[in-house]
Amino acid sequence: MTSSKTIVLRSSDGATFEVDEAVALHSLMIKHRIETGGADSTTIDVPEVTGNTLSKVIEYCKKHVEAPNSDDLKSFDTDFVKVDQAVLCHLAKASYYMNIKGLLDLSSKTIADMFKGKTVEQIRETFHIKNDFTPEEEEELRKENSWNLFV
Amino acid sequence: MHYHHLPHPVPPTTTTFPDSMFSKKGKRRGNYNCGRCGQPKKGHVCHLPLTDSVSPSVTTVITPLSEPIQVKQRNHQPGSNLRRALSFDDIDVTEGTESDDDVADDVEVDFGSGKLPVSCVWEVMRRLPPVDLLSAAKVCTGWRDVSKMVWKAAEEVRVRVPKGSRVGFVGSVLQKCVKLGRLKLIMESDMDSTMLACIAFACPNLESMEIVMVEGSVNRITGDELGRFVADKRCLTTLKMDGCASLGSFVLCSNTLSTLWLSDLHSLSKMVFNVPNLNEISLDFTRQENDSTDLTSMMDGLGRTCPKLQNIHIASLQLSHSVVLSLTAANLRGLRMLSLVLGSEITDASVAAISKCYSNLELLDLSGSSISDSGLGIICNVFPETLTRLLVALCPNITSSGIQFATAQLPLLELIDCGMTICDSDTQYEKNNSEVEISPNSKLHLMQQKLFIKHARLKKLSLWGCSGLDSLYLSCPNLNDLNLNLCKNLVPEKLVLQCSKLEHVHAVGCEDVLIQAVQTQVSDDSASSESHYSRKRMADGSKRVGIPFLFSQPMPDYDKTSWKIRKRRCTVVVE
Repeated sequence: MTSSKTIVLRSSDGATFEVDEAVALHSLMIKHRIETGGADSTTIDVPEVTGNTLSKVIEYCKKHVEAPNSDDLKSFDTDFVKVDQAVLCHLAKASYYMNIKGLLDLSSKTIADMFKGKTVEQIRETFHIKNDFTPEEEEELRKENSWNLFV
Repeated sequence: MHYHHLPHPVPPTTTTFPDSMFSKKGKRRGNYNCGRCGQPKKGHVCHLPLTDSVSPSVTTVITPLSEPIQVKQRNHQPGSNLRRALSFDDIDVTEGTESDDDVADDVEVDFGSGKLPVSCVWEVMRRLPPVDLLSAAKVCTGWRDVSKMVWKAAEEVRVRVPKGSRVGFVGSVLQKCVKLGRLKLIMESDMDSTMLACIAFACPNLESMEIVMVEGSVNRITGDELGRFVADKRCLTTLKMDGCASLGSFVLCSNTLSTLWLSDLHSLSKMVFNVPNLNEISLDFTRQENDSTDLTSMMDGLGRTCPKLQNIHIASLQLSHSVVLSLTAANLRGLRMLSLVLGSEITDASVAAISKCYSNLELLDLSGSSISDSGLGIICNVFPETLTRLLVALCPNITSSGIQFATAQLPLLELIDCGMTICDSDTQYEKNNSEVEISPNSKLHLMQQKLFIKHARLKKLSLWGCSGLDSLYLSCPNLNDLNLNLCKNLVPEKLVLQCSKLEHVHAVGCEDVLIQAVQTQVSDDSASSESHYSRKRMADGSKRVGIPFLFSQPMPDYDKTSWKIRKRRCTVVVE
């Protein structure tokens, strides 16, 4: 058993979180920073992630590091992503920057599932996207994907 | 490579083919859920309706490669799905895109009341099924650009081509994915040379192509067209095609092709395989009597030109001893899986020839042949060190003693299929009555047969249709799946199942008392007295009776308070 060294993670808004090294290493980005940063790197800045998101990410890492084979991991994951869309997007972004594959898979897949069965308009509503196509571009797209040409 | 169980010629009411028998649940890679309904993709065909923005007839379905049979319902030709289990391995389903494209991270795209870097949006979009991806492209310019990248990176696409659609449809999809390596088309419309040319043109890097024909659609591709396609594709390693009735004759030349599956073949006048690296071949012929294919010279040629063959599967009524002799003359050093089914003219002599030449077989499937218990004896003599799968379904000359001998002599056996072997069918008896000398035991020979199987490694056992079986004793600690469908004469008191890992017992068409006996047997293993039965009617009309039973295994070193108790649910399939 290695000594329980702790690492401090600092979010973009200055919030700090102290975590076990093992938990922090679940993020390959942090792992890389520690390995290349020298023996004294106990505080790691994570400027791409806000405090709220970072605390959630840490919660995820903790669970996955401390009990990787537990039976309720799946249900933990399912419940973990039962958050509103904005939080989900922040999680996806954070997991991408912090290089946490499991969380990236989980959050991306959850977002992808939100597309299913929706029309283009519904997708725009769900994700608050503005339609910025010119009429010509729209026509172009419609033609490109036209499988309405049935015999 | 995953094959499907031989559908026995049964009345249509019992259509639950024990496919589960041949699918290994071990490897759980690629465990993705269907993008449309969230159900696990394995063995799943999504029937969710499409959105309005895409034409309702277009369905892009992501179905796992391991269960193609579910999309093609060939009910009008009950015998045509003859692929057998040549392997336990589920095919790894790699999700569409794996790209190392350098994505500019500083570019951000609108996403959900904020902005996400392109790479994140990419991560989301690459997990979308084709139809959602196409919708996503229409949302805004940023998304359109990301979706283009996803298409470009797509290595594998599975698309259902709707009835009446023109080649343009396939073309428009394929043109988006230049890097496409693996393509599977589920053809509801007809397949012809124009479509093939479109694929050839749009996918220069194609490595694997699979064409599945849905009932009602016709595959018009000729042998010449196929030959040209194969010759032109420099990277093609896998080709699987259904409905090959129009092939006629073909010459295939390819240095790269390693897997070839052709089904619904009929009356081929010439087959040349200039495919020196061919590793696996599966040729399913239609079950028509008037097939003029010369299998012997085909096998001759195959043996000469494809020395690296490891897996061979041929299903044809024309299979005979001379075909086997051609095979043995070829001396294929690497042969590991051999499946020659439906050939009633394959005899014990054929088995002798095969075993003399190929002593390292891991799988041997001679279902539908005339081999007898002595043939099984030969198999047991030659293959005990390598054989893990033995399939001898529909072999009328095999009896329970042969099967019993096989299970005793083949220690590595994991799967044995003896469907429809131990039969007491009266018609069979009457037929034999007139020709064969009746020994005192032959009447009993067909009825009241007993099976006593004790095997450490056996995982799947099929005694489907063994109506001559009246007693069964199984002591197989690793047995996972047991098929007793239509074992009508199995006496409940003479059934003993000591198989702690049993998960599925199929008992379709069995007497209720037998089903009760099975349930009792299975729950007898539990140390706990509490057991509740839950009956559940499934959406497809079948019934599952779940019997949770507790298996408690006392560890000798532990004291009684720390017994490990594992719950294992064994389902008995009754409908």
